[in-house]
Amino acid sequence: MAGGDKVVINERGNREIVMIGNHLAAQAAVDCGCKFFGGYPITPSSEVMEYISDALPAVGGTCIQMEDEIAGVAVATGAAMSGVRAMTATSGPGISLKAENLGLAQMAEVPLVVVNVMRGGPSTGLPTRVAQGDINQAKNPSHGDYKSIALCAGTLAECYTETVRAFNLADRFMQPVFVLLDATLGLMHAKAEIPSLEEVQKNIVPRKKFEGDPKDYKPYGVAQDEPAVLNPMFQGYRYHFTGLHHDANGFPTEEIETCRKLIDRLFRKVEEHKDEIESNEEFMIDDADILLIGYGSASLSIKEAVMRLREQGIKAGMFRPITIWPSPEDRMYELGQKFDKVMVVELNQGQYLEEVQRSMGRRDIEKLTKTNGRPFSPQDIIDKVKEVF
Amino acid sequence: MARDVLRFTGVGGQGVLLAGEIFASAKINMGGYGVKTATYTSQVRGGPTVVDIQLDDEEIWYPFAIDGQIDFMLSVADVSYQLFKSGVKEGGTIVVDPYLVHPTEEDRKKWNIVEIPIITIAKEEVGLVLTQSVVALAIANTYLDLIPEDVLIDTMLSKVPQKFHEANKKAYELGKKYALEAIEKSKATA
Repeated sequence: MAGGDKVVINERGNREIVMIGNHLAAQAAVDCGCKFFGGYPITPSSEVMEYISDALPAVGGTCIQMEDEIAGVAVATGAAMSGVRAMTATSGPGISLKAENLGLAQMAEVPLVVVNVMRGGPSTGLPTRVAQGDINQAKNPSHGDYKSIALCAGTLAECYTETVRAFNLADRFMQPVFVLLDATLGLMHAKAEIPSLEEVQKNIVPRKKFEGDPKDYKPYGVAQDEPAVLNPMFQGYRYHFTGLHHDANGFPTEEIETCRKLIDRLFRKVEEHKDEIESNEEFMIDDADILLIGYGSASLSIKEAVMRLREQGIKAGMFRPITIWPSPEDRMYELGQKFDKVMVVELNQGQYLEEVQRSMGRRDIEKLTKTNGRPFSPQDIIDKVKEVF
Repeated sequence: MARDVLRFTGVGGQGVLLAGEIFASAKINMGGYGVKTATYTSQVRGGPTVVDIQLDDEEIWYPFAIDGQIDFMLSVADVSYQLFKSGVKEGGTIVVDPYLVHPTEEDRKKWNIVEIPIITIAKEEVGLVLTQSVVALAIANTYLDLIPEDVLIDTMLSKVPQKFHEANKKAYELGKKYALEAIEKSKATA
């Protein structure tokens, strides 16, 4: 590992490493074959770029610091168009700047991993403080209709494993995939147990490739629930990239049915394969009376609160979406039928609360939110549970 | 074992982060759980910085120290001392650099305030101000006896460049010596 960090292989064959979350995300990219990083440093994500600027060139990859966030995502998108795995990393204000290019990557179906170490806002907010301010932004960073995929790490180890998963999902669905971290996870220094390198590399699923006669190649002419098949550049398969509505070869068109089918497909390729994307953690909910819903670093506080509430005879449990978008709406609906007492705990003003309400079809859901840049202490959660239930 | 909760505070650029990392890693090297978190302001150089360290034999989820549960704090900047002292539990130990931190008489009643000129030791006796982090590490471990000394020193050496190994070993010995003297002194006056 870069930086001389010691790696221990444990009895399960996994690696144990002491690192911060931002470095784990960077190492994950290197391990699963990322060959290009383009970005511009911003607190609290800078350590992703710091680490990968050493680690990527060491394995023959390229890391480039551009003049700003917009150029950072532009070069990463370009690298991904050429056929390699590519990544950028930033924080919420950086996503705001990158939004236009992210829209292009959605429309042209370019697989890209975007690590967002979230902070609060609007605007520059509290740069060094923790927040989960970018949940809505991750759903729709750019204008127009498309279906985001956003994964949210809730443990140090997941800073690694979710980044690996993001690369695999990006190549599977041919679109940008967000990895959401926050300042607590990104900068906390502790032990993470991560899969062995062989395990990670064994599970890499490369992008689909068209192998037939180049004359028959129609990169966007695919089944209505499937992503585009974009071959690597310079191998004799010619096509066109555009942000305009386009036909099977990628050339702009205004043909009515082609335009309808294109945007419909951008939705359906994700919606009809949600089972390949969904991932949740259910913590002590089997016998629980109270359901707490949270994600990211807030879930660390929730877990500690659940344990302490149970010591006091209050049976709480936690549901944690790891895939935030598309949301686990079906599972949340079931849980909404099972639990009377539900509370969403998040470091914003209630961005995911609305999704929980929609999924459960209920409005009587309690919330605990915070936007002053400070984490929830377990006691904050215990006090609120006792107050409202 | 109960959880050990420590807090190191200073201002950005002083290097208080490193001591926390060493503690957490050493505990993990022993098969336990250690977590270090750092909180700082947008004013990176000169802004108040706080490093929380928790060590336990059981898994730690919430990574920050909880105010009122901190056993030991070390501070090398008055601004951070004043901001974060209230988190230390009554009767807990606070080691301060007396040239830089100015506790009130009330503070001295509430906590066991120990004065050790950490920065001066690093600057003048070791001859390398950067080693203050290791002076602080030695003081904390001498007071709390958290990690066997050989494990802690090995972990420390694995995190500092080779050419500074001797200076950091010296810094550790000096920190330990001053801490032992302070402990003796408080026993004598008690």
